[in-house]
Amino acid sequence: MPETTTYTLRLGLEGELHDVKVEVPKGEPKPWDGAVKLKIVGRATPRIDGPRKVNGEATFTHDVRLPDMLHAAILRSPHPAATIEHIDVTPALKRPGVKAAIALAKVGGRVRFAGADVAAVAASTRAEARDALAAIEVRYKVEPFVVDLHEAMQPGAPQVHEGEVKERRTEGDEPSEGGDARRQGNVRMNPSLSKGNTGKGLRMAKVTHEATYATQVHTHSALETHSVVIRWDGPKSMTAWCSTQGIFSVRDELANIFDLKPADVRVICEHMGGGFGAKFGASAPGSRMGWAAGELARQTKRPVSLLLDRHEEHVCTGNRPSSSQRVTLGADASGKLTAIHVVAHGSAGVATGAGVGNNAFGIYTRCPHIKVESHDVFTNAGPGTAFRAPGHPQGAFALELALDELAAKVGVDPLALRLDHVEHPIRRRQLEIGRDRFRWAERRREADARRARGARVLHGVGVASSIWGDYGRKGAAVVTVSVDRAGAIEVRNGVQDIGGGITTVLGMVVAEVLGRPLAEVRVLVGESTLGASVGSGGSQTTSSVAPAARNAAEAVKGQLAELAARLLDRKSAGEITWGEDGSARAGSKSLSFAELCKKIDGEAIVATATRPETYSSYPMRHPGGPFYQIAGVQFAAVTVDTWTGVVKVPEIVAVHECGRVHNPLTTRSQINGGIMLGVGYALMEERILDRGSGRMLNPNLESYKIAGARDLPAVDIILTEVHTGANSTGAIGIGEPATIPTAAAIACAIHHAIKRPIRTLPITPDAVLAALQGGA
Amino acid sequence: MKPFTLIRPSTLTAARDRVGGAPDKRVLRAGGIDLIDLLKEGIAGPDELVDLKAIKGADAEAMRALAAEGGGWSIGALVTLAQIAESGLGDAHAVLREAAGSAATPGIRAAATIGGNLLQRPRCWYFRHQGLVCLKKGGDACLADGGENRSHAILGGGPCFIVHPSTLAVALVALAAELEIVGDAGTRTSPIDKLFALPRVSPMSEHTLAAGEVIRRIRLPAGAAGQRSVYEVAKARQSFDWPLAEVAASVVLEGGTIKSARIGLGHVAPVPWRAVQLEEALAGQTPSAELFARVAPLATAGARALGQNAYKIPLTQGLVRSALHRACGIAVPD
Repeated sequence: MPETTTYTLRLGLEGELHDVKVEVPKGEPKPWDGAVKLKIVGRATPRIDGPRKVNGEATFTHDVRLPDMLHAAILRSPHPAATIEHIDVTPALKRPGVKAAIALAKVGGRVRFAGADVAAVAASTRAEARDALAAIEVRYKVEPFVVDLHEAMQPGAPQVHEGEVKERRTEGDEPSEGGDARRQGNVRMNPSLSKGNTGKGLRMAKVTHEATYATQVHTHSALETHSVVIRWDGPKSMTAWCSTQGIFSVRDELANIFDLKPADVRVICEHMGGGFGAKFGASAPGSRMGWAAGELARQTKRPVSLLLDRHEEHVCTGNRPSSSQRVTLGADASGKLTAIHVVAHGSAGVATGAGVGNNAFGIYTRCPHIKVESHDVFTNAGPGTAFRAPGHPQGAFALELALDELAAKVGVDPLALRLDHVEHPIRRRQLEIGRDRFRWAERRREADARRARGARVLHGVGVASSIWGDYGRKGAAVVTVSVDRAGAIEVRNGVQDIGGGITTVLGMVVAEVLGRPLAEVRVLVGESTLGASVGSGGSQTTSSVAPAARNAAEAVKGQLAELAARLLDRKSAGEITWGEDGSARAGSKSLSFAELCKKIDGEAIVATATRPETYSSYPMRHPGGPFYQIAGVQFAAVTVDTWTGVVKVPEIVAVHECGRVHNPLTTRSQINGGIMLGVGYALMEERILDRGSGRMLNPNLESYKIAGARDLPAVDIILTEVHTGANSTGAIGIGEPATIPTAAAIACAIHHAIKRPIRTLPITPDAVLAALQGGA
Repeated sequence: MKPFTLIRPSTLTAARDRVGGAPDKRVLRAGGIDLIDLLKEGIAGPDELVDLKAIKGADAEAMRALAAEGGGWSIGALVTLAQIAESGLGDAHAVLREAAGSAATPGIRAAATIGGNLLQRPRCWYFRHQGLVCLKKGGDACLADGGENRSHAILGGGPCFIVHPSTLAVALVALAAELEIVGDAGTRTSPIDKLFALPRVSPMSEHTLAAGEVIRRIRLPAGAAGQRSVYEVAKARQSFDWPLAEVAASVVLEGGTIKSARIGLGHVAPVPWRAVQLEEALAGQTPSAELFARVAPLATAGARALGQNAYKIPLTQGLVRSALHRACGIAVPD
């Protein structure tokens, strides 16, 4: 019996479809391709959980209030490097309201960044808990520290770590990255990406460009800070509420810490206020919150709520690492690239993960010789962690601006240079579509003319690309669909909705398959007991969950068809056809959906399903594996006030794809969010560490600046829908691709405007004025 | 945050008496915007907040009124930024309206008062960091000098290099405003410039009010014929941000020449800074783009940059040029 079925699917860019044979595991429904006509999936649909969020009914972890609940607070090291000589938490126990106090650091142990865990208390109120921290006695032996990337690379720099450094990876990290590495001093070399011979490529070059590009440390700054509430339900079981991107990562961490069976840890994340890669597990990357809350709850036998404040959120919950990238490009006289060589150093503070992504390696692949080397440089700073497209925005910034500088040297249009080197057919079409929509050539000419006449406010345009992989996972999400005798439809899965809109998409997919209105589908998500699911990292939520939901709904429908066949006196379910309203038909006879459901044997038809490994990557594979490569491009327009250095971004044209667009409204919302993040990264967000004290000087949202309403461009989104045949619904990801090219495109546009490159992010007015004066 | 008692006295005298004896333990509260920040950051820890918004009577009326007075204006210390931004201040005094509308956010402007705005503490990130002790908090050195000083002073700094945070003060300097101050010895009048003290005079405090003194009103003198005033600011973020630098310019034009000018600079010095050399250079000149470009460098005469704030010199000059263009009715070049 064959293990697979071969279907001929209509795949490719919507409107330019081709017949492609795809082998699909037996039992899978025929994948939704470009030929299928859907009624609900693909329609712009408001979030079904939207009203609850807007009217305040939605419960976030910060809102959880349990009977007898205590509040915890954590004492953090004021020193960036120190050995703990003495620690006594007992004085805190005498303070008002305090019920328990525990040390999180050990005597003789080292703290390696300002903000590291030292001790924790639980008290009746949050204010009492915070006040009691001052009573904890700690004696530190203060040690030399280093917070600057370049100083940390010098011989004789204070050593951040003594022994081997284990890489911490989460579901937020890109699956293709990582590997073994060795450490020398504070520098740890990561595996490189390489093809051809860059030395040879550079020797062949007629024009070369070499420069160093630097990016800042970027903190996640989710609206809801890291938070966990833990209640022990028995000696070996607990319930945890957590603001998380990965409900099952929370379960597994707590089970591991407290030696429980995973099934005895129930995790709830009904709603959450943002996650960009730092919210995996019950703890934060730089704070053992899960252990602290669980242990305090165990000792007091009361539920404990531990919510970080904004200062803590900035210093110990992860960040996008910095980078300093030496980029060398070679080209022939016409601008054909002969070599791309990137040597990157970056600091994820005390942690690893300062790579620079696939941009230099995987986008402009007509260049024959490419090498990307990256190094982690340890500093006494809070740990980096996955942050929306780890490595990519920094890699895109360096590569794309370097390409623009090379294009200027050679005298070619930077967009033409990109079109000359892109192989992915969808990305090529996106560049062409964007070029026309943005009026690239016309705007370039206008900007050049404005500069030539010595205008005060200069204009510029830039373009940059994104690369990401279809990381939708087999078997990770197990979705249950049920239809009961009353006709009630329910879909259940333990996925968290981090804002991408999976709740609504689940309902839409099931409604589509069963031919019923979305309003009739009850969607249950946000709790581990609802069935295994995937973490929301790597842009894999929709592509892991939606196909599983379709498969489960199709299984239910199959059983309904068998029932209908019996009731309508047919031999097999295959003789049943379905009406648009979910009614079952055979010849002249039919049964409405309600009539059919009434005849269900027992209470309900229930089916559970997941999805298999991706079965197609049409039309372009990702360089990291046998899965589809997701393309995207953004065009940015900037204005630069030469009197003040202030840059504004009036417009961004974003051309993206995410396979079949399941819900255009939430897809566009994700792209809007990615661009907002990218504008902030380009122009203002930056963690400032004081070199004198190792403390973060802007641990707030006042001097750590995130883009506000007036900073945002008019965003023109073009969705180039692609049918890849990757899974049963055709979903692939968008969350991360949407933020990758934004800062790069803005930096390129500024370069175009002022004819001088600004090679350090963020591009603040001081940097612009310095660049303008530098050439005077 | 340390717990406190909120006292709601019914008269200004009672309020002043309450804080007069123990200014560290008892502090006045108006809008409460900066005060709550200071309490949360652990920089201030008073036992009592004495609420000026509770007072009644003639003082309260004066402190809440925004009214034309003898060609000028009287603005009570409790008038909010939003009221000023929406007021009918004319061309001569428009700089104050523009400045008030530029500061903070709509929510903050609705609660923040002009008196509180003038007396708010600096935003220096060393001063505001609970874990750091700088000169202004009784330490022995300014941590910004040699540290992270991109937002610090280029003029008048040392030994502390804060910039004064009040946007409205800069506008009031340009308008030659006067303050009506109530104290134990009665009511006195003071030019706005005298409210502020450089760190070399007073490193721990930014103002010169004596214990128990309260600003009751701010008076704007009548505008001269041909007086126009404008506010210009540059921010790194266009939504809710502090200025990188700001300029308030008030110019009196007479028969096609500049009769006189008053120029206030903000976020460049520990006090609202008057650009006196620039004012002198403008007097008697015929306004033109060339003139503004030529004299703008005088705005920052004597500037001394720390490691990271040299950009404020060209930035301030650029803002001065924009402000002079607008104040003199010559279109800012595009």
